Amino acid sequence: MKTFFVLCMLGLSNLALAVDTALPQTEVRVDNYDARVSIPTELKREKAIRQIPAISPGEYFVPPEVGDIPTSKYGEMVKLGRNIFVDTQHYAKRYVGNGLNCSNCHLQEGRKAYAGPLWAAYPMYPEFRNKTRDVVTFEERVQDCFRFSMNGIAPTLDSPEIKAITSYAHWLSTGAPFNKELPGRGFARLGKPRDPTPINGEKLYKESCASCHGKEGKGQKFTHRDGYMFPPLWGKDSFNRGAGMSTVKGCAQFTKANMPLGKGWTLTDMEAWDICTYIWLQDRPWDPRFGWFMNIFAAPTGGN
Amino acid sequence: MFCVSYSSIVEVKNMKIKVAKIKKWILSLQRPSWLLLGVTMVALAGCGDKQPKPDKAAVAAGQVLAEKGRGAIPGCVACHGAHGEGLDAAGYPRLAGLNAGYIEKQLQDLAREQPATGVVIEQVAKDYSKTPRVYSDLTVFSPGLRHDNIMSPIAKQLSAKDIHNLAAYFASLPYTAKPVAADFQVLERGQDLALRGKAEYGLPACVSCHAPDGEGFGSDFPPLAGQPAAYIVSQINKWQQGQRDNDNLGLMRAVADQLTDADKLNVAAYYANRSLTVKGQ
Repeated sequence: MKTFFVLCMLGLSNLALAVDTALPQTEVRVDNYDARVSIPTELKREKAIRQIPAISPGEYFVPPEVGDIPTSKYGEMVKLGRNIFVDTQHYAKRYVGNGLNCSNCHLQEGRKAYAGPLWAAYPMYPEFRNKTRDVVTFEERVQDCFRFSMNGIAPTLDSPEIKAITSYAHWLSTGAPFNKELPGRGFARLGKPRDPTPINGEKLYKESCASCHGKEGKGQKFTHRDGYMFPPLWGKDSFNRGAGMSTVKGCAQFTKANMPLGKGWTLTDMEAWDICTYIWLQDRPWDPRFGWFMNIFAAPTGGN
Repeated sequence: MFCVSYSSIVEVKNMKIKVAKIKKWILSLQRPSWLLLGVTMVALAGCGDKQPKPDKAAVAAGQVLAEKGRGAIPGCVACHGAHGEGLDAAGYPRLAGLNAGYIEKQLQDLAREQPATGVVIEQVAKDYSKTPRVYSDLTVFSPGLRHDNIMSPIAKQLSAKDIHNLAAYFASLPYTAKPVAADFQVLERGQDLALRGKAEYGLPACVSCHAPDGEGFGSDFPPLAGQPAAYIVSQINKWQQGQRDNDNLGLMRAVADQLTDADKLNVAAYYANRSLTVKGQ
């Protein structure tokens, strides 16, 4: 009986292992990296689909081209939305409290798969959101972007900024299936082989991130114009503690698929975790949800 | 009762002494601090007006070398133009107004010997103490290689001082681009690639590293605007053929590997069509 029980336990643990290893790590050497080879083809589960590198054009929804924006009132709103999205510092300055633009994280004007593409997000709303424990509309979700990621003040739901961004997202998802989770939505899904260490993360940061984002992580500013060429990862001009990107997980999921720019999927999962643990340890604006406490000690942020 | 009142009187006295001490301390602190503040403000105001000084001796020496050459070294102006503006027809790049650090690195890389055949070059020197990976014995970390039939033999004759002087001279030159006309469809496609890249292939936009107007940024990201189209195409070809790998983190190689022939032509035409004014450092 006892041996039978032990055998059962072993069998169960084996099963559990098998389930864990069903999601293979896309861990590859930088120089031998070939995205086409490392695409896992046998995966069928929704989570597993997200591990496919964003490289095969057939795999992902392709949004319409900018030249195809209609010439109408709607088209004008879409264009305004694109302007806000790409140059938030100029077009939505009053709502922004840091040095970032929307397209710093939603890469390539909100088009890139696994970089929070708008075409995959927009058709999914209204949606239950764990952060607020409530069902939120797309407009309310954009408000939270301003509050946390832009460290600013949320535009009201009827403001032209929210209307324009919503129109832009609506136009980008022209032809996308409604209320269906598309491959490439959000960010990459990662395995975590071991606990991350900021010691390793600091080394990795210095060799593969610091040349653009700066050794101090404060980004790099233009010399001949306002704004940042490379966005700050921490410091007062970066997103605040309430932003999804400020969590180690959110940061790692973004980093794995997109960084270094143009060489996404070349860092291993563990390297992404390590780098983001190091970034998480740094100083950044406080979470505005705890304003009642922090207001006593710190200067208010946001909304110039 | 007595105790309480007595202690309170003592406390008040102590407080008064403390306040007086603090006042003294603040007063003693204030005078020099105001002085210091004034001095720093003056210094800051001075800094704000002036750019970091260019090394005039280096610029002058660089100018002499660039115009007249020395011994077997031909003058740079013969190919790169009298004011470093390049030669569109032959695809000789412009040098005027480029980042000094960039020019210096390129000349050093052009002068470097090519590695023996069979050596695997790893572009990014990584610290693998925490993340072990397997490497062959022949793997070396590339300090950056760039080969050119014309330029490499010339660069090999330059000393480190020469390279520094030339970089300082060409970085100090002002430059105004002359936009080259091109077919509007070519420009449209070039612009699409330059501003948005190809998201569905994971190919980033040119502007995300080479700055919004293609004016370049820092010593790692050279300008694209104001460069001859033929030069841009030939350099992308070199990356694809392995004759150049001196880019930061191997970023450009990853980009070049995904560009089709049409992409190269379109984007090169787009950047040759941009207008640009550079003051010079």
